[in-house]
Amino acid sequence: MIGEISHFLSLSAVVLLSLVLIFNLFFSLNKFHPNQLILSMRLFNQACWLVFISFGMYVYLAISDDFSIAYIASHSNSQLPIFYKVTSIWSAHEGSMFLWIVFLTAWSILFINSLDKDHPLKKLTLLMLSLVILGFLLFLLLTSNPFERILPFGVIEGADINPVLQDPALAIHPPMLYLGYVGFVISFSFITAYLLNGDFELLWEKDIKNWSFVAWIFLTIGIALGSWWAYYELGWGGYWFWDPVENVALMPWLAATAFMHSLFASSKSNVLKTWTMFLGILIFALSLFGAFIVRSGIIDSVHSFANDPKRGLYLLGFSGLITLLALSIFAYRLPALNSSKLVVTGSKESFLSMNNILMVTSIFSIFLGVTYPLIIESISGEKVSIGPPYYNTIFSPLILIAAVFIMISVDALWQRSMSLRALFVTVTAPTLLSLLSMYLIWRATAVFSILAYIGIFSGLLILFSYLFRTINNVFNKKYINKGSAVAHVGLGLLFFAVSMNSILSYEKNLNLAPGQSISVNESVQEFSFDDIRVLKASNHDVISAEISLMHDDREIFLNPQKRQYATRGQITSESAIHASVLKDTYLTIGDKLENGSWTFSLKINYFIKWIWFSAALMVLGMLLTIFKKKVL
Amino acid sequence: MNQLLRFLIVILPILILIFFAKVLLVEEEINFANFEAKNFPEFQLNDLSGNPVEAESLNGIKLVNVWASWCITCLIEHPFLTKLSNNDIEIIGLNYKDTDSKANAWLEKHGNPYLFSMYDPRGDLAFDLGVTGAPESYLLINNQVVGHIQGEMNQSKWETIFLPLIQKAKRSS
Repeated sequence: MIGEISHFLSLSAVVLLSLVLIFNLFFSLNKFHPNQLILSMRLFNQACWLVFISFGMYVYLAISDDFSIAYIASHSNSQLPIFYKVTSIWSAHEGSMFLWIVFLTAWSILFINSLDKDHPLKKLTLLMLSLVILGFLLFLLLTSNPFERILPFGVIEGADINPVLQDPALAIHPPMLYLGYVGFVISFSFITAYLLNGDFELLWEKDIKNWSFVAWIFLTIGIALGSWWAYYELGWGGYWFWDPVENVALMPWLAATAFMHSLFASSKSNVLKTWTMFLGILIFALSLFGAFIVRSGIIDSVHSFANDPKRGLYLLGFSGLITLLALSIFAYRLPALNSSKLVVTGSKESFLSMNNILMVTSIFSIFLGVTYPLIIESISGEKVSIGPPYYNTIFSPLILIAAVFIMISVDALWQRSMSLRALFVTVTAPTLLSLLSMYLIWRATAVFSILAYIGIFSGLLILFSYLFRTINNVFNKKYINKGSAVAHVGLGLLFFAVSMNSILSYEKNLNLAPGQSISVNESVQEFSFDDIRVLKASNHDVISAEISLMHDDREIFLNPQKRQYATRGQITSESAIHASVLKDTYLTIGDKLENGSWTFSLKINYFIKWIWFSAALMVLGMLLTIFKKKVL
Repeated sequence: MNQLLRFLIVILPILILIFFAKVLLVEEEINFANFEAKNFPEFQLNDLSGNPVEAESLNGIKLVNVWASWCITCLIEHPFLTKLSNNDIEIIGLNYKDTDSKANAWLEKHGNPYLFSMYDPRGDLAFDLGVTGAPESYLLINNQVVGHIQGEMNQSKWETIFLPLIQKAKRSS
């Protein structure tokens, strides 16, 4: 019964949102009525609350083990702790789509109610938001209904959550990512409303600035958490795979980053306004594209959900419709928007626009990488796959140029050209120091790879520039933008850590019997396999090995495990990790061989923690920017 | 210039849209096309431990799964294959364009659901079989290839495509 009520509430939200749209369409043909907006707002707010209550009831259904609901029956189990019963809701397509819509609704209701009662764009924004929510609710109910019952009788026990997903990170990684993705519905709707409205004297930047910044923070945390999860918990052995789904998350992130930068430029010096609007539309369009790629199953990926062409076509059609709607209005208004003001060469905003171009180039390259296999397949029927070498080759030169512009723009001024002398002063010291450090790194490691050294150099350039700027700030009281500095240091650190990781890390496959010990190399002097035991846990068996290592003259104990789960028979590997500041010792246990020995995979990963630390710095920088008194 | 820009802003997304719609629709056709049964091609391959594979070992009802250690999607379908093998479905691996050391390490790390894996580093058998990439799965009944699935094998594909074929074969025998 509760399932039906929950279903009914979602359906009612569809009706209310349709009413908002129909009603406004009807009125706009006639004369404006003073109560039009008030009534629309009420309907919209009620629709949003219906979605929230419906989802709340659905959570209750999951907790109370209602296995007559098909989705819950195939993704939950009565033996699960309540925590995983709740998270199992977004462990597959239908439920995660529901969560996506709940977040979409939450952002929308918060934003629209934060606008002044007589804000000139309120009505049009409301209509755009209603349209988007309505489209996705219909998608949920028509093609991926999470409320569907198993009739006439439900099953007694659920099929259980996938053990890989039985992990606390499932509780935060998808929600964070979704909050980021859908948060940009605000800039999308508001900018579209602004363009429709046609009053270009209106200032729109400040109304959506902080909303976009917060969405960016969620998106950044979501992506970083996904990478952290893959490495620490899922035992994939790496942090980034250039998997199509990672790529479709990176594209809106890059667009959002470019958007924030040009938002600063356009508010500081009144340039790039048109470009900023375009980016604001692009971010959400790319989020929608991501949803389409993941949920249509058009590309095989680590994350893809079940393949269903009907869903793909609906999503493609609807995302295409609203993106085209926004872009057509943009194209229509373009002549009126063109500001005569030009960017001053050598000013801060000129370097900023250069990096904007670089970010859009990156987006385009990723887009090409994602779609290229499909294009080739549809032309020649041949299957190709695009992997890390493509992206590494494309990105190395891009980040080098970006780093150079970031370095210069640290000391550049808004709206004023930079003198050649100032340019020389800014560039010399960081460049020389970076070259020197690179030489030292090369001497110390004796490894060389052009792409990796480009990355190291780029990272160091940024780090040293900000170091000098900070010194200048402390001793000469020169102004420093703290938020920007912290975020960019994070970026420099990211380039540095990723590149160092790629040249220093290595993997060894070992083969030992219990009681045996061997020497691996100069750094891992001794690897002893002390013992192996089989343990019983509540829903799985555990094979646990005890290993002691003499690693760089320190003794380390590691405990890699294998688990076999009862309900699905699935075997998962629990890697043992010992972390120090510079490197991680990452050990996975393999199978037992016929002669009684076991196989192990030992990975030494350098600078890996720095990658997530740098993401944390970027988020911190953004937070500093948001909480600064006056930004725009 | 401006006119061209306005035109492009609208036309480019439309082209992208048409392209994806086309890909989706073509994929749908392939998925529902009837598969014509054919004989399993002749081959001379070793398994991953270096022993030659006998053609007789493919008799009966067998699932042939194309996999490789470099294939991420293979990792995704791996638990499901393990589940199938636990339910007494006989699965034979076709290790595709891989090296035996990496393939063996992969099996050691993730578990081995296969009776054995044929080692096809150059993709010879895969070519004769019509493999387009990894993962792919073929259903063999008495040395006849009766079904084919491209991409990840999962519960729904298993139940809608292969299981009916197996049931049909069991009924007629």
